[in-house]
Amino acid sequence: MSQATKEAGLWTAVKELPGNFWSSIFRNPLPSSDLERASTSFTNFFLHIHPVKVHRNTLRPIYTLGLGLISFFLFLILMVTGILLMFYYVPSTTQAYDRMLDLRGSVAFGTFLRNMHRWSAHGMVAVVFLHMCRVFLTGAYKKPREFNWVLGVGLLLVTLFLSFTGYLLPWDQLAFWAITVGTSIAGYAPLVGQQIKFLLLGDATVGQEALLRFYVLHVAVLPATLMLLIGVHFWRIRKDGGLSRPEEPANLAVRVTAVPVEKAVEEKKRTYGLVGFVRGPFTKIGNIPDNSVYSWPNLLMAELFVFVLTVAAILTLSLLFHAPLEEPVNVMHPPNPAKAPWYFLGLQEMVSYSAFWGGIGIPTVFVLLLLLAPYLDRNPRGVGRWFARERLLANTIFITLVVVKVIFIVIGAFFRGPNWSFVSPW
Amino acid sequence: MPVAQRPRMTAAPSEQEDMPRRRLLSWFTSVGLFGSAVLSAFSNFVFIKPRATYGQPARFAIGKPEEFPPGTRISLDARRVCIVREGGKMAAISTTCTHLGCIVGVSDTGFACPCHGSRFDQDGNITGGPAPKPLPWYKVSLKPNGDLEVDKGVEVMPGTYYNV
Ligand code: HEM
Ligand code: FES
Repeated sequence: MSQATKEAGLWTAVKELPGNFWSSIFRNPLPSSDLERASTSFTNFFLHIHPVKVHRNTLRPIYTLGLGLISFFLFLILMVTGILLMFYYVPSTTQAYDRMLDLRGSVAFGTFLRNMHRWSAHGMVAVVFLHMCRVFLTGAYKKPREFNWVLGVGLLLVTLFLSFTGYLLPWDQLAFWAITVGTSIAGYAPLVGQQIKFLLLGDATVGQEALLRFYVLHVAVLPATLMLLIGVHFWRIRKDGGLSRPEEPANLAVRVTAVPVEKAVEEKKRTYGLVGFVRGPFTKIGNIPDNSVYSWPNLLMAELFVFVLTVAAILTLSLLFHAPLEEPVNVMHPPNPAKAPWYFLGLQEMVSYSAFWGGIGIPTVFVLLLLLAPYLDRNPRGVGRWFARERLLANTIFITLVVVKVIFIVIGAFFRGPNWSFVSPW
Repeated sequence: MPVAQRPRMTAAPSEQEDMPRRRLLSWFTSVGLFGSAVLSAFSNFVFIKPRATYGQPARFAIGKPEEFPPGTRISLDARRVCIVREGGKMAAISTTCTHLGCIVGVSDTGFACPCHGSRFDQDGNITGGPAPKPLPWYKVSLKPNGDLEVDKGVEVMPGTYYNV
């Protein structure tokens, strides 16, 4: 008798296994209403990064241009293609270049993956920079988002350092001489410069040790740092109350009081739910004008759209253009002119006037200005709009600096010939 | 905005008496943990700083003096020095650009760097470009077996020749 029940029990267990297994992973059935979708996003690891609702302004393509999102998707593509490339790459001065040739000649999709990795890397540098411009020109770094801007500057620097360490790896002429010049620039830093240079190279000159070190930085240390920073960056967006947006037009019909969280806790007379903490630094009491829509489907569909677009763009580029590979390293003859990739040409142009000021002094001032921008410019107005008139001064300064930077890059790219002497591109 | 006060916890009296001691203990613990964290972070740098390097030796033989007839200006690119012989006088001038480390090429007027356009005269003095220092000269000497030896570990005053 008991035997029978057991058997039946086992039989039912087997029969219901697929369903039980499924529901043990996905706690909610496929949602069909806003409420169900909201609770699914809440309980799903990959979805819970999204708020249940987002403000309409967040979804305006013209506001963000999707640039932060594109940066993130490019990073994902870089991770996937990079890990695949690691299966064939050997960080050795005698093998690295041959492995590049092998990728071209004898690895299925080798050229294609290398193209994807290279173009995504170039794209990421450009898009992260543009994302920074968008954030500045919309005043989105203002209180309470100051620290997320600081994290952003960190993200920009790590992105640049990733591409710098990346292009030593093929061990071609560009690689070798760019690293020779780059690490010499580090050597000009006051006090610790020579030590930093030695730590980077692991030797007095660029060689096997340097290649190994740059490899470790490129495939482990820097990507891990970037992932951590991106995680905090996204988390802060939620905690800063979602994306920046224009001040709500004072709606007379509703009463909105904002009180600091601490106040809300101390005040005895009222009780507040946990939502109060979740919302951000301010707890809103009363009727809040609802300008928000559900993240699922609105935000998710927008993200999917941007993702597909990004992937399609990279695939097309990689089909059409091949990633360059220069001559194998010749430690005796720098190519003439020896040019860095486009995003470092401005730096190279500045360095050609003075190694210290061009390579260390001015870049340090730039980075400090960027880091301090939200703490120096504390005018709370003009947030959430492109080129707000109240921010004319700040925006003018920023745009001027960007234009100067671009001019330096253009000079380095088109007006410099052999021996870095001035040539006309015509 | 003034810093809002944290909500005060109402503690039992006995707990309150313990507070100073507790605070001291937690202070010591924090300092200890933080100090260890700093030390271990620092030890990473000690670890990645190599004690021995595999690069080129600073001292190397370049051959017999006869291999460099008077009037020679030959750049040994692998060693990154230029060997100069004028009459019976010999010298070794560095060919590593003092700007950012590219190899300078020997030109009619001296040396020229392809990377950012620094130019040097025959003796390595700067004649143009961003290089901050002249090209250093290294010690040249004769080994007992008759080979010339260059020591890149020892810089000499520009214009100091070795007489062969
Ligand atoms: C790896 C690089 C980066 C990634 C993946 C990334 C990702 C994102 C994403 C997905 C957003 C949401 C809004 C949008 O798409 O525009 C965002 C917002 C933001 N990002 Fe980034 N970002 C990066 C670098 C930067 C940099 C370089 C800065 C500035 C120096 C920055 C500062 C900000 C700020 C302040 C916000 C909030 C903007 C607002 O509230 O309107 N981020 N980021
Ligand atoms: S390295 Fe020679 S001029 Fe810059």
